[in-house]
Amino acid sequence: MEKVKKIFLHFFIPNEQNNYRAKSLHPDFLSLYLVIAFFLAVVFNRTGITNVLSFATDISIEKLYQLTNQEREKNNLPDLVYNNQLSQAAYQKAQDMFQKNYWSHYAPDGKTPWDFILSSGYKYEYAGENLAKNFLFSDGVVSAWMTSPVHRENLLKKEYSDVGLAVVNGILNGEQTTLVVQMFGKLISSSLAIQNQPMVPQVLAKKQLPVEKKSVNFPYHLNFVFLTFLLIILALDFYFASKFNIIRVAGKNIGHFLFIIFIITSLLIISRGVIL
Amino acid sequence: MNHLKTYLKKELYTHFFDYLLLVTAGIFFLIILNSFRGERFLEFFIVLLYIFFYIIWGVYHHLFEDSLHLKNVVEYILIGFTILFLLKILILP
Repeated sequence: MEKVKKIFLHFFIPNEQNNYRAKSLHPDFLSLYLVIAFFLAVVFNRTGITNVLSFATDISIEKLYQLTNQEREKNNLPDLVYNNQLSQAAYQKAQDMFQKNYWSHYAPDGKTPWDFILSSGYKYEYAGENLAKNFLFSDGVVSAWMTSPVHRENLLKKEYSDVGLAVVNGILNGEQTTLVVQMFGKLISSSLAIQNQPMVPQVLAKKQLPVEKKSVNFPYHLNFVFLTFLLIILALDFYFASKFNIIRVAGKNIGHFLFIIFIITSLLIISRGVIL
Repeated sequence: MNHLKTYLKKELYTHFFDYLLLVTAGIFFLIILNSFRGERFLEFFIVLLYIFFYIIWGVYHHLFEDSLHLKNVVEYILIGFTILFLLKILILP
């Protein structure tokens, strides 16, 4: 126990043994953090591991579908049924945006969202589309749509009965981008619906949701954990340095502290992309 | 806790302008970052600028406090660049 206490004091509390500065804030330790961060940045960039393992984003179709229906339930509206044809249309739309390099409801060649829906075989009476890019979390996407009056209206339209979703990664304007396409619809009539697709009971239709492996946004959590760790050691070092009235050659903890607080806040901004 | 309050008060009072500058730049950083939300390259560039500002702020602060030392400068650079590389993984994977 005495040994653990000694190690703790050495690493986190300024005292005679660590030259009156927490060891974890010494230049050699700070250099170690830098080397690890640099190594991770290079490895992730070279291997493209974030895309392969899809842990650069936490967005999942399942979660988006759940959250969409939750919002509808809150507003006393019936749940939307997951529709594979609409999802196919959403996927094609995302692919088209990557191929033709645009971020808009309408393609540069004049192709509309309705063209994608019709080409998937879904004959609609009502249809709508919501877009989002570069969000890190599913709830961020849905909450952004809910705060925008136009997207909210789409999400809560009582005329819609079906929804299709696609989350696609690709390069847009030279940047690694995650696109979310949500397409809503209602079949033109029940007779046509029978011709186009078998009438699937609601429970069965929900089961068609693609099964996705759980992903964790590793870079986001890594940033959050490291910044919190830095804040804690800076706070401890600052507290004891002021308590023992230590005068030393070191950076200003208040300055570091303020800087890290702004960086943590920036993480929250970065996790929210844009909607259209 | 009294020693902490006294120390904080003294530090903030003595270097009021320096900390005001750091906070103002931080607020501007967040506002600009928010207005370019979703544009990955610009987001990274804005973060890069803020990190450079923080290093320069550190040098300026210690220079005027008459406590500028290579060790201090290295500390600001190491913290700034560690955060830059970690944010790079998030913004430009």
